[in-house]
Amino acid sequence: MTTLEGESRTLIDDLLAEQQQLTAVQRFSRRHDSGGLPAQERYYRALLPVEKPRFGEQYAFGVDLDACTGCKACVSACHSLNGLDEEEVWRNVGFIHGGDSDHAYQQTITTACHHCADPACLNGCPVKAYEKDEATGIVRHLDDQCIGCQYCVLKCPYDVPKYSKKRGIVRKCDMCYNRLAANEAPACVQACPTGAISIRIVNKAELTAGIHPEDQLLPDTFTSDYTKPSTLYSTRKTIPANARASDAFSLRIEHAHLPLILMLVLTQLSAGLFAVLALIGILGTAPVFEISKAPLALIAFAILNAGLAVSVLHLGRPLGAWRAFLGLRTSWMSREIFAFGIFAGAAAACTVCCVWEPLSGLVPILRQVELFIRPAAFAMPLAVFTAVLALLGVYCSAMIYIDTQRPFWKRELTIPRFFGTTILLGGSGAASILAWLNPAGQTDLIAFLLTGAALLRVALFTWESQNFTADLADTEELNHRSALTIWSLRRPVLWLFCALSGGAVLASFIGGAHWRGAMIAFALSFGAHLVERYFYFTAVVAPRMPGGVAA
Amino acid sequence: MKKIVGKIAGLVRQWEGPQTDDLVLRPGEFGLGKIPARLTPDDTTTMVCGYCSTGCGLNVHLKDGRAINLSADTHYPVNLGMACPKGWEALTPLAAPDRATTPLLRNETTGELEPVDWDRALLLFCERFKEIKRNHGPESVAFLSTGQIVTEEMAFLGALFKFGMGFVHCDSNTRQCMATSAVAYKQSFGFDAPPYSYNDFEESDVLLFIGSNPCIAHPILWQRVLRNRHNPEIIVIDPRATETAMAATQHFAILPKSDLVLLYGLANILIASHWIRRDYIDAHTTGFEDFANFVAQFTPEVVSGLTGISVDRLWRLAQTIGDGKRVSFWWTMGVNQGHESTRTAQAVINLALMTGNMGRPGTGANSITGQCNAMGSRLFANVTGILGGYDFLNTVHRKHVAEQLRIDPAAIPNRNSRSYDQIVDDIEAGKIKGLWVVATNASHSWINQSRFNETLKKLDFLVVQDLYSTTETARRADLVLPAAGWGEKEGTLINSERRIGLVKRVTRAPGQALADFNIFKLIAQYWGCGEMFREWSSPEAVFQILKRVSSGQPCEIDGIKDYRMLDDCGGVQWPCPVSIDAAPPATERRLFEDGRFYHADQRARFLFEAPRPNPEPADVDFPFILLTGRGTSSQWHTQTRTGKSDVLRKLYPENVYVEINPIDAERLGIAPNAPVEIASRRAQIEATAFVTNSVQPGQLFLPMHYPSVNELTFPAFDPYSRQPSYKACAVRLTAKSARL
Repeated sequence: MTTLEGESRTLIDDLLAEQQQLTAVQRFSRRHDSGGLPAQERYYRALLPVEKPRFGEQYAFGVDLDACTGCKACVSACHSLNGLDEEEVWRNVGFIHGGDSDHAYQQTITTACHHCADPACLNGCPVKAYEKDEATGIVRHLDDQCIGCQYCVLKCPYDVPKYSKKRGIVRKCDMCYNRLAANEAPACVQACPTGAISIRIVNKAELTAGIHPEDQLLPDTFTSDYTKPSTLYSTRKTIPANARASDAFSLRIEHAHLPLILMLVLTQLSAGLFAVLALIGILGTAPVFEISKAPLALIAFAILNAGLAVSVLHLGRPLGAWRAFLGLRTSWMSREIFAFGIFAGAAAACTVCCVWEPLSGLVPILRQVELFIRPAAFAMPLAVFTAVLALLGVYCSAMIYIDTQRPFWKRELTIPRFFGTTILLGGSGAASILAWLNPAGQTDLIAFLLTGAALLRVALFTWESQNFTADLADTEELNHRSALTIWSLRRPVLWLFCALSGGAVLASFIGGAHWRGAMIAFALSFGAHLVERYFYFTAVVAPRMPGGVAA
Repeated sequence: MKKIVGKIAGLVRQWEGPQTDDLVLRPGEFGLGKIPARLTPDDTTTMVCGYCSTGCGLNVHLKDGRAINLSADTHYPVNLGMACPKGWEALTPLAAPDRATTPLLRNETTGELEPVDWDRALLLFCERFKEIKRNHGPESVAFLSTGQIVTEEMAFLGALFKFGMGFVHCDSNTRQCMATSAVAYKQSFGFDAPPYSYNDFEESDVLLFIGSNPCIAHPILWQRVLRNRHNPEIIVIDPRATETAMAATQHFAILPKSDLVLLYGLANILIASHWIRRDYIDAHTTGFEDFANFVAQFTPEVVSGLTGISVDRLWRLAQTIGDGKRVSFWWTMGVNQGHESTRTAQAVINLALMTGNMGRPGTGANSITGQCNAMGSRLFANVTGILGGYDFLNTVHRKHVAEQLRIDPAAIPNRNSRSYDQIVDDIEAGKIKGLWVVATNASHSWINQSRFNETLKKLDFLVVQDLYSTTETARRADLVLPAAGWGEKEGTLINSERRIGLVKRVTRAPGQALADFNIFKLIAQYWGCGEMFREWSSPEAVFQILKRVSSGQPCEIDGIKDYRMLDDCGGVQWPCPVSIDAAPPATERRLFEDGRFYHADQRARFLFEAPRPNPEPADVDFPFILLTGRGTSSQWHTQTRTGKSDVLRKLYPENVYVEINPIDAERLGIAPNAPVEIASRRAQIEATAFVTNSVQPGQLFLPMHYPSVNELTFPAFDPYSRQPSYKACAVRLTAKSARL
């Protein structure tokens, strides 16, 4: 019964074979549109401008909010018609809501790249992987130029550029540049069932001039004067004053960027060590400097290199990093790379001079150099020079984050943190090294460094806790959501931070005199800074356009 | 020199390269405009979407006959070049890694599902069900099927199960979505016949949506509404301020389950104000006088008290309807899923009849269907009626169908099947011992879910036939049969406006998955009734059988020559008799233009009944009324498919959330986005609070797509349609202590 009589093939075999045959093409007529305009043109014709942008003008997305009802076809059509990666979307749809029980207000918001007049992504890019097209104003991303540093992701206040780990680069909406060039509509415009998305032409100067300091595209979006977004949202309804993004209260752990945490803490430690070396050179006695310089410089140089090496891990395509000079004019990322470059050069020279005596003892041929110059004599001035460059590098690091305009990364919070790390770890690090090398000597200096570090630790901790408790208590505070994120989602890590900070202070006072105590104090302090930097990245509120319900 | 400079410049700033090439667009031919170069098709073909009842045409991009991409079809008369995100992503779930690729049998020792070959699976399927039948009789095995497979497969399943295998009881998940409309139409019009065409959205000057949120549930139908050039009044009646309510010109946030009272009250005002069409009523209906007398008790004051709508606004609403020249009435699950849903749907029909809004452009009492082939299920599944819209209790019908199918009339049961809820009762009572679930996820979707899943444990044998071995139901099966999905097989679907559209095989099913049609063919052979279905050789052969069987019925389709004609015409609406004047038939046709209905006297009926209170009202212990419904346009039912697309997943919340009014949230100390607990008398679940004015105080809303939601729902059923009342049960809400 299981086999068809007289045949070796069963019905199962036949049906399994049939299942694999694709017959749609043979079986059915093909109704092709041949030549001429794309078939969809009849629907999108009215949604495109009649002419190309003239000088001083650019394309902009127009969104008729009264027609947008949240079907989200734009998102998936963009995905399919642009051949994006499986999980990649260049458009998103969220909503804002408010009003009261009798007059509920809700409005879906479709959003893509705003092709800003002053694009933060472009300004931040260290390798000029962004281009604001002269003729159309479209902000294009040069995918092959991108090194995957993801700074544009941090810079864009609308969460537009998206990093692809698989590709090692960022990609974003290009307003279907290719389609517009051929008078075809972008995918989203073609696919909106209610014609809510259109392409408009705006005058760039008027766009820029029309934006006032407090202007926003919509409730809960970033102030427009930062990047001058071009999208024109329009509605005949009045948006109620209490309207909020639907995800306004959601808490989200942002990417921790482990290589950046390590890179920042290590480079700042190194900068701190060079600063202490320079200070000893300037303020200390000659013998103290002579004893300290070799180990301090060597260790600081090694840590700097470790920090820079680990930073490379952050890049999706590190081989292109040499292009970082391209962005110097506008990008703090370029400036940081440049500053750390010369810092590393100076540090190398300084280190060579500091270790010259033992080095030339080991490699006698080096003595030949002394016929022309005496490197050891440059140790002190070079230490000072290196320290200055190091602090400049730390400042550039800080500016990278300050320049994103995110409240949790504002200047008043970033500068104390980054320079706090530099001084504190530099001091306690140097103390441990000196105590370890020469347990008997320089006790005054070691004690000074240790006590200073401990006091600074207390001061920093007090400052952090005051900020934190104030932010947590007041829902109106700019950084309330950051504090709440830590409190609600990462409380054990917060206790760890407290424990490490307290431990570091205790260790400084109790065991400080002994090199082991100093080491422990330093290690705990180092841990505290790693945790502080972990919060710096994960608890920041990344501004974005209104999203959907966050659950 | 210039070249070298250019080369260096190119190295410094790379405008081109492999990453850039990846996104290059080229003219795609076939009228597609520019498309990604690596997705350039060598052919295209159109087929209808397999999600909802809108029935959009999708333009499948083919390479070597296989689908590589798709876009919305520009020409298809339903969707006019547009699709919702589910349609755009229709191919993605087919490639999901959890597709069932071989039959799976539960190992009794390990308790795990393990692969077996088809031969073993089919032998076991027949052996176990035959054994149950032998011991417990023909009423001891049932199937629960779906509105998601093609008509030809539904017909085959129903005919095989009842005529071939000799069982009686079966039902479909259309019980959960369209049973009410089917019964309401059948009783009012004499046949289950939604009268409209989508063109009516564009022709109305007043559109009234009740319990319907097309912006989210049927976005392409909303597209048709926005194409209306008559500056229409758009009225939405819904307890929630839905997306559609926001887009309406008038929104009436009635108290949950006060819809029937409201509709009777409107009828009363319309009659009292003479905003009715006496000539139409006299010529084409019966029962109006009784109805008018009945609704007199629903004075505006009474109705206002019960619905929460002020008397003034009731008058304004009635007047908008009365003033309208072309008023269309639309309803969806808000009406269908209620404890008195049939009468509610008929109350909508009554409004259309008494105002003469029937059979003219832009009018009608129009049920918007849920699933892509709910209509196929209603007419041809051989479940609630014999295939072709016939009656199991009617001797003449049985004889006629038997003749057309060339089978013994005795093979056709002379009694009706138990309904879905009664099948569940029978399983619990031990009367039904074997269950075959086809393309539905009952363990997630059935009302009062926990009881349902407990009940399944009483079965001797549970077979689940599905695309995925991971659905909540498949995970409970003794035997899983791997099915091919939409796009991997052929057949027809019938949409909300009665349009029969074509599904084609444009991609290969994974592993040994087979089209449901072919699984039924194999079962027929293994069961020993292959001979009875000798003519049922292919979906198109069955389509010809269905033409023959339904000839002369209101749903007749003999004017449709074959699949090719469906393809050429962009789908064809039923009825399509051979005698249809035009060839090809007009693209959009509505029913009852001549005012003649399907009852013997050709008159429509005014049907009504005293409203009953919600069977589980809010009380002191459970003070909230819980509403359920669709969450977003990117979610489909229990998410067995939409959950497989990365893009769709980005477009809806990952976890269940509950909508709470700010007044309630403040009173209960619930912060936005805080975790909460929701309890009914049946279960307790957790959710994230979404504090919003779109729900009224005292009401909560949960999207139905999340598995825990139906643990809460109360099993009330409409007495006529047996459709479950998902939309109202009593619950309690409490804040959950903060995380960590």
